Amino acid sequence: MAERLLELDGVSLAFGGLRCVSDLDLHVDEGEIVSVIGPNGAGKTTLFNLITGIYEPDEGDIRLAGESIVGLQPHQITRRGIARTFQTLRLFLNLTVKENVMTAAYGHTKAGIFRSMLRTPGMRREEREISELANQKLAFFGERLMGYRWNQPAYSLSYANRRRLEIARATATNPRLLLLDEPAAGMNPVETHEITELIGKLRTEGGYTILVIEHDMHVVEGISDRVVALDHGTKIAEGTFVEVATNQGVIEAYLGLGTAETK
Amino acid sequence: MSEWLPPESESPEEAVPTTGPAVGRDEWVAREGERRVSRAGWAGTVEERLRRVPWWAWLMLFVAAGSLMPVFESSGYVRLVGFNTVVYMMLALGLNLVVGWGGLLDLGYIAFFGVGSYVYAIFDSAKFGYHVPSILIIPAATIVGALVGLLVGLPSRRLSGDYLAIVTLFFLELFETVATNGNQIFGHDITGGSFGISTVFPLSFAGHTLAVQHNGIFAVSYYYLAIVMFVIVYVSLFFVNNSRTGRAWRSLREDPLAAEVMGMPVNWLKLTSFATGAGVAALAGTISTALNASVYPLNFSPVVLITLYAMVILGGSGSQPGVVVGAFLVSVLLQVLQDPGQARVLFYLVIVVGVIAAYRVSVRLAIVAASTAVFGIATHAIAASFHHSWVDGAHGGLAGVLANWVVVPERLTPWVGQVAYLLLLVGMLCATQLRGRLRLVTLPPTLYLAAFVWENQMIPNPGPARYIVLGLLLIVLMIVRPNGLLGERRVEIN
Amino acid sequence: MQFFIQLSLDGLTIGSVYALVALGYTLIYGVLKLLNFAHGDVFMVGSFIGYGVLQALGGASDPVVPVWLLLVLVTLAAMVGCAVLGVVIERFAYRPLRNAPRIAPLISALGVSFFLSNSMQLEFGAQQFNYASYNLSGGALYFHGFDLDHVHIPLLRIITIGSAFALMVVLWFLVNRTRTGKAMRATSFDREAAAMLGIDIDRVIVFTFILGSALAGAAGVMFALRVPTFAAVGFTTGLKGFTAAVIGGIGSIPGAMVGGILLGCAESYTAGYWTTAWSDLVVFSILIAFMIFRPQGLFGRVDIRKV
Ligand SMILES: Nc1ncnc2c1ncn2[C@@H]1O[C@H](COP(=O)(O)OP(=O)(O)O)[C@@H](O)[C@H]1O
Ligand SMILES: [Mg+2]
Repeated sequence: MAERLLELDGVSLAFGGLRCVSDLDLHVDEGEIVSVIGPNGAGKTTLFNLITGIYEPDEGDIRLAGESIVGLQPHQITRRGIARTFQTLRLFLNLTVKENVMTAAYGHTKAGIFRSMLRTPGMRREEREISELANQKLAFFGERLMGYRWNQPAYSLSYANRRRLEIARATATNPRLLLLDEPAAGMNPVETHEITELIGKLRTEGGYTILVIEHDMHVVEGISDRVVALDHGTKIAEGTFVEVATNQGVIEAYLGLGTAETK
Repeated sequence: MSEWLPPESESPEEAVPTTGPAVGRDEWVAREGERRVSRAGWAGTVEERLRRVPWWAWLMLFVAAGSLMPVFESSGYVRLVGFNTVVYMMLALGLNLVVGWGGLLDLGYIAFFGVGSYVYAIFDSAKFGYHVPSILIIPAATIVGALVGLLVGLPSRRLSGDYLAIVTLFFLELFETVATNGNQIFGHDITGGSFGISTVFPLSFAGHTLAVQHNGIFAVSYYYLAIVMFVIVYVSLFFVNNSRTGRAWRSLREDPLAAEVMGMPVNWLKLTSFATGAGVAALAGTISTALNASVYPLNFSPVVLITLYAMVILGGSGSQPGVVVGAFLVSVLLQVLQDPGQARVLFYLVIVVGVIAAYRVSVRLAIVAASTAVFGIATHAIAASFHHSWVDGAHGGLAGVLANWVVVPERLTPWVGQVAYLLLLVGMLCATQLRGRLRLVTLPPTLYLAAFVWENQMIPNPGPARYIVLGLLLIVLMIVRPNGLLGERRVEIN
Repeated sequence: MQFFIQLSLDGLTIGSVYALVALGYTLIYGVLKLLNFAHGDVFMVGSFIGYGVLQALGGASDPVVPVWLLLVLVTLAAMVGCAVLGVVIERFAYRPLRNAPRIAPLISALGVSFFLSNSMQLEFGAQQFNYASYNLSGGALYFHGFDLDHVHIPLLRIITIGSAFALMVVLWFLVNRTRTGKAMRATSFDREAAAMLGIDIDRVIVFTFILGSALAGAAGVMFALRVPTFAAVGFTTGLKGFTAAVIGGIGSIPGAMVGGILLGCAESYTAGYWTTAWSDLVVFSILIAFMIFRPQGLFGRVDIRKV
């Protein structure tokens, strides 16, 4: 059995009395692709915010490769190997496309201000490596991001390409676990299909373990080893795609029946 | 594995086939380059050529031009102004680091300039009898400035820009208080109080003193030294900006949360940005103090802060060449406004250019020009018919030429000037709101009123007048062109 | 003890001025999320308007109207004048920047502040203007009053503090009990949501500027009844008001009041028991202490980051 990469243990979070995540157990194994589904407001993004350290859980523990990451700053968690994209795109819009990717190398590079001022040989070597890394990450998207003007500001990218750039930026932190928040949102069918393939490729060629939030059931079906369904911050189903998709509770949650009955 | 290979060439735009975007690409974006309108004819060619000149070539050109100034200009005063301008440029570069790259509103920036100045003055003056070699005191003052910056930034590090603005602004106020009352800190005199320290030694290297004056006028060596320091600061900051740290600063300006999640320690980066800027300011303080041979608390008032902000904003916050040009322009502007003759020329030039820019060459332009002229001559005639002293204030030069148009009394009754100024403000505000014919009607009296106020109030009071112009400049720039002259267009989505 | 009462009285007087200024900052920050650096200068203009009206009505020693009416007219004129000024500033310097980057209106505010203080200097010079309030009805406002533990408390002080508190009560009523006030609170809670609920944001903002600036005008008069005013006074007083707002919790109305009084007393005690020279240092230390230990201020709420 593969190693447990990420483990959530009874994690709860409330905002001023309103429970957003309650007593959630979740795990992702090394090399796995796990999808999180659930209606809007189910707490999926909040889950990502908990894992990346933006919020701290009220209760429970979150472990990466066996070590607790609760209480760490987000940048420390990133350095330990978790990277994410944002549902509401958060690119550095006025930086160039390539710089966006280069910034993410901050955590695993070293040159300080003085070395940069003097442009020491070590600093220049590191700069070259960062540049290589960025080229590589951008080239991963093949035709899509290739050939664009990488030295143009990121705001000149189209919506779909901004999503791709977010993924490229996240991978440039050299993560072990990649969290993708609705990567196919706002994409047309062709692009959605591409994203499905791309996520598979991220695992096979990039070697990342992936936890993905997705609404598009075709995408979920195409990529997932395992699917977790959330509603009102609790896990209502877990299993293969078919198991979860045919689960009565999940269907009700999506159709809005569950809310009426459980309340 | 082929997709993992980096592109062949360093500049990917060359990979775009000129025939059009390949299938499957995002066409709209791929054609971005084609859609960008380039000017036709030779202007377009020149623009394209200029774009290709590398940054260091521009810098060298600029420095060469600056270095030639003392060759053509023998006036000690002008040279001194040149020196101060270079110091301003250095300060603007440091402020640009904090505001333009780090996105932090640092309103205490001038206090760090003061820290550098006082450190130099305390350890290199007859007042306390210390005489630390310049080669030691300059870096030491820079480091002290940066450390003080770190301390001031520390309490507000977790907070948004607004809190930082308050703490730093208060720090500036506190700095003035400490400097002013520093002659009685537990019975010790440290800063010389409000009289400052006026026996500062000039710079000295290896026992050789760099005299401040040469035959009684400004010694050019300080000017060149300032230029050298400016170049060092410019180049170092340029390198930092294009390094890991610089990119991190700019990304936290864009989106601190995303930066944090991408592995950047945002708090620490904010502090370093803040402290590095403070260090640059302190560095500028040392050479400035050495030249002036003195330092006073009033050198570090909010007035200087606003001047610097005007420079950075006018030039284009975030752009190094921009803020340097901004510093140059504002510095020249402040000088021009101090000289009645030049201030007058500048005013009418701005008015004429402004009106032409607004109406182009058209019938309306002719109407505005003619009616303004007639309005003035009529007003002048009426004023003159009351008493000749009402129009006897203008003499010589351009003022003499205009003497039959704008009313300049020998002695202006205060309330007339006050009312005129108030009316002018109202007129200006209205002019921005009115359109079409109404504006055409209100413009001539407003223009005339502006000329009247300029001649009778602004020119005789260059002190407040200069800063009124700066204040207006800041407001208008923020509305009309927030990215300044050379700044990049910025987008921000909240 | 007598000395302490004396100092407390002083602190309360200057503190209520700070509180009124702080209220303006807090209100405007609430709806616009803008640190209105020009607010201190609006306060300064208020004190000048008061001076102008006072002179027009014959000055402190020989007014053409009864003293109580004189004080009311002077204060009202300053409040109205400042309200107009505030609306003009908002309309021309801030509204065009409603959707600009965060830093743009801040810099515009700096420009306005600079423009106002230097305009006043251009118009009236840098000298001090003294209301000469001790001449009001032959000094009666100072002789009268009552004694507390042998400390004489002049009537003018009581009037100042009393009217400052009256204004705060009126403000509280306006914000909590009127429709526009409720719209204001909704706007400061969440501007977009308020707009979607059909609240006219522009109207709310103008209303806020009227309220805040009028309070600053009244504060200007109260300030100048105590000590002379001058064109550069806006900067320091604005800074203090600002600090008071932050200490109280920016965005909170009771916070601004308490913060103002606290600051006034801190200054007064420092000046009395130690030295006037370092009162700034004490206030700054208090500010820093709050920044470290309670950044949301006394009454502020903690902002939750939205992702
Ligand atoms: N910072 C916050 N403060 C208060 N409530 C929040 C916050 N963040 C999320 N929520 C609430 O938590 C719930 C889950 O949100 P979210 O995780 O974004 O849902 P989704 O599953 O659609 O991603 C929502 O009801 C949302 O309003
Ligand atoms: Mg979500």
